[in-house]
Amino acid sequence: MAEPSYPAGAHDYASATEEKARLEAAMDEAPRGAAVLSLAAVALLLIGWLGLYFLVFLPRGPVG
Amino acid sequence: MATVARRGAAPALQPAVGAVAGLQTRRLVIAHIWVALAAFAFACLLGVWQMWARSPLAAPYHSAANYFRSVTLHGVSMAFVLTTFFIMGFGYYVAETALRRPLPGLRLAWAAFWMGIAGTLLAALSVISGNASVLFTFYPPLTATPWFYIGLVLVVVASWIWCLIMIFSMRWWRADNPGKPVPLAMFATVANAVMWLWTTVGVAAELLFQVIPAAFGWNAMIDVGLSRTLFSWTLHAIVYFWLFPSYIAFYTMFPRAAGGRLYSDTMGRLAFVLFIIYSLPVGMHHLFMDPEHSNGFKFLQMFLTLLVSIPTLLTIFTITASAEIAGRMRGGKGLFGWIGALPWGRPMVLATGLAFLMLFWGGGGGLINMSYGMNAMIHNTSWVTAHFHLIFGGTVVIMYQAICYSIWPSLTGRNFASLRPLLVQLWLWFIGMMVMTLPWHWLGLQGQWRRSAAFDYSNPIIHGWGPWVLVSLAGGIVLAVSALLFVYNLALLHRRGGGAAPATIEYARAVHPPQRVPSSLNGFGLWNIIVALLMLLAYGWPIAQFFFDPPPQALVHRLG
Amino acid sequence: MALSEEAILKSELRWAAVVGVIIAIILIAILYAAIAMHVNPPSNREYADPNTLHLSAEFTEANLGTRVDPAGQIVARVIATQFEFVPNCILLPAQRDVTLRFTSPDVIHGILVTGTNVNTMIIPGYISQIHTRFTKTGDLLMPCHEFCGLGHSQMMATVRVVPREQFHPGPDGRAACGDRR
Repeated sequence: MAEPSYPAGAHDYASATEEKARLEAAMDEAPRGAAVLSLAAVALLLIGWLGLYFLVFLPRGPVG
Repeated sequence: MATVARRGAAPALQPAVGAVAGLQTRRLVIAHIWVALAAFAFACLLGVWQMWARSPLAAPYHSAANYFRSVTLHGVSMAFVLTTFFIMGFGYYVAETALRRPLPGLRLAWAAFWMGIAGTLLAALSVISGNASVLFTFYPPLTATPWFYIGLVLVVVASWIWCLIMIFSMRWWRADNPGKPVPLAMFATVANAVMWLWTTVGVAAELLFQVIPAAFGWNAMIDVGLSRTLFSWTLHAIVYFWLFPSYIAFYTMFPRAAGGRLYSDTMGRLAFVLFIIYSLPVGMHHLFMDPEHSNGFKFLQMFLTLLVSIPTLLTIFTITASAEIAGRMRGGKGLFGWIGALPWGRPMVLATGLAFLMLFWGGGGGLINMSYGMNAMIHNTSWVTAHFHLIFGGTVVIMYQAICYSIWPSLTGRNFASLRPLLVQLWLWFIGMMVMTLPWHWLGLQGQWRRSAAFDYSNPIIHGWGPWVLVSLAGGIVLAVSALLFVYNLALLHRRGGGAAPATIEYARAVHPPQRVPSSLNGFGLWNIIVALLMLLAYGWPIAQFFFDPPPQALVHRLG
Repeated sequence: MALSEEAILKSELRWAAVVGVIIAIILIAILYAAIAMHVNPPSNREYADPNTLHLSAEFTEANLGTRVDPAGQIVARVIATQFEFVPNCILLPAQRDVTLRFTSPDVIHGILVTGTNVNTMIIPGYISQIHTRFTKTGDLLMPCHEFCGLGHSQMMATVRVVPREQFHPGPDGRAACGDRR
């Protein structure tokens, strides 16, 4: 898994032209996966928040 | 200032490109970061002992005096020394490598460094002597020896000098490069400097006008509500001061390490500007359970706190999208195939992924904390300790570690011979942090309170907490091992490595590198005005009330 | 799909809208709890001079603990001081509206009652007041939860919640943990 050199990224692609071509291809799809993933993450966050709100916080009764 | 002015007056003499990360600046950066690392490793070991002391197991040297001395040292080392020195060192590094020209004010920077060292020693000796066990959040009317506070003030003044060097570096670069966008890494660093100047006003006022006069015995009485309000001014934005380098790494280092591009440079600038605006007028969420403020202002600052989640949530999307671009460029297919295609064997990539996971838990806990009345459920319980250890110890520190791993080759001139010890260290840090903090959430919900030197496990309510406390202690031990391995990895590179490394690093490029940006996103003038107005709205009356309708003051209790 | 800069900004704006919805949901839930369920932070701006508490009418030693006033309101008064609560046990009925009032003659303290939403800072100079209703009976822990000095960890009290039909204040309206019932 570990790679021999660091910092990496500089030599990931053979040439600037290839990097550009891959970027254009990647941008045909992106950011669909990121949108779904981020949405799932914040949905889980909201579910967790609401869970604590309804299951722990409100049953513990009024204060103020 | 003379050095700064002279360098700034003749920028044309400096080469615009090249001479990057010059030897003098390298020494400056290494000195700062090693001070940070020493404080960090020491504080990790103290943290383990504190958890041992609170567990059902008998801990050596366990007494209330030692416990609170240790908690104070742990907090001061982590929150003031590690952060301030790391941020200063990294800022100098960014100023030189992102702007690609020598750092101005090198001698002034060294003067600030030694001032920070003097302040750190003064504060540390005060705590070790046992005369300053007031924790890093002070709690007047308890007062420590005045030298404790004076030491911390010296550290803050040193950081102010750093702020000025950062601000003028950017200004002089902009003067020499009219119309060009300031590189994002430097824009963010200066955003942090600007925010930090605002942030420190609260604590500086508290220390200079209230606490230090009380500690010297000049004042017998202290307005406790006012001191808490002034400290709350600082208390939230200081966390964003710590967090900024992590976000700088997300935006300007991670996309490159992943082999891709930053999704949007503009969103980066916007996120950093939003941090300046919204991390300041929100500190009163630390005072929800306090009697000295009305519900109206608590509600207002709760609302503003909700808004400070926006830049973080925007960042999550922008950085995930950047990761997707990199993964797809590396051949990842389908909706999620890009995740597996990312180069997880690179420390910056792995650390960013783990940082996001810890941010999820820490941010989720934080959402509960800030939810106004809901704060009563967990205020001053282990839940809060879990929250800020995940944010600070988690997201912030793991990115500091990844930043060190990214810049160390350029500072030492050597590449790491193997990345495996680095990856092991990062994984251990993540595992240790999760194992330590997940039980704390659970204990906090059951009412386990903070800042207790010991628990009476014979009490039937407390008895059931024992096993969970032991699990979190195990997590703490893993963290300490990881901290030592981290320091060892960096120390080793000073002696030997795996081949020569270039003296600089490349920052990530955006999908659309900015050609021109609006002046509002190339400087901070407008945002300073907005911060001033928001602070007036959020803190104007809450502070003024102590002068219009002064509450009874409390007698100063001296510990030192 | 989205190579142009405008398309990127548009996707960010869509995401910002999602963020806005989440913030709105949380805000509505908080408002509902505050307005309909009466869960608010304890914001009671009421002064009490910490240096003359023993001379005050309310927080003299004889007046501390639980007391039912002539109007039927149940109020418990507690002083938090380095490093104990006076009294260190308070008796309260379940399923009745009760008011807790705290103040400090010395430094900052704070309390929570385990398993409930009762939580407040106790700041010298102020009276912290909480209105609540206990639902569970039994002995609940009420520790000092804010650092107040080296004895902080020993500073703890008990809230003894009894079924409402077993709550029998004396003729002076007082009820204490030691009372025989």
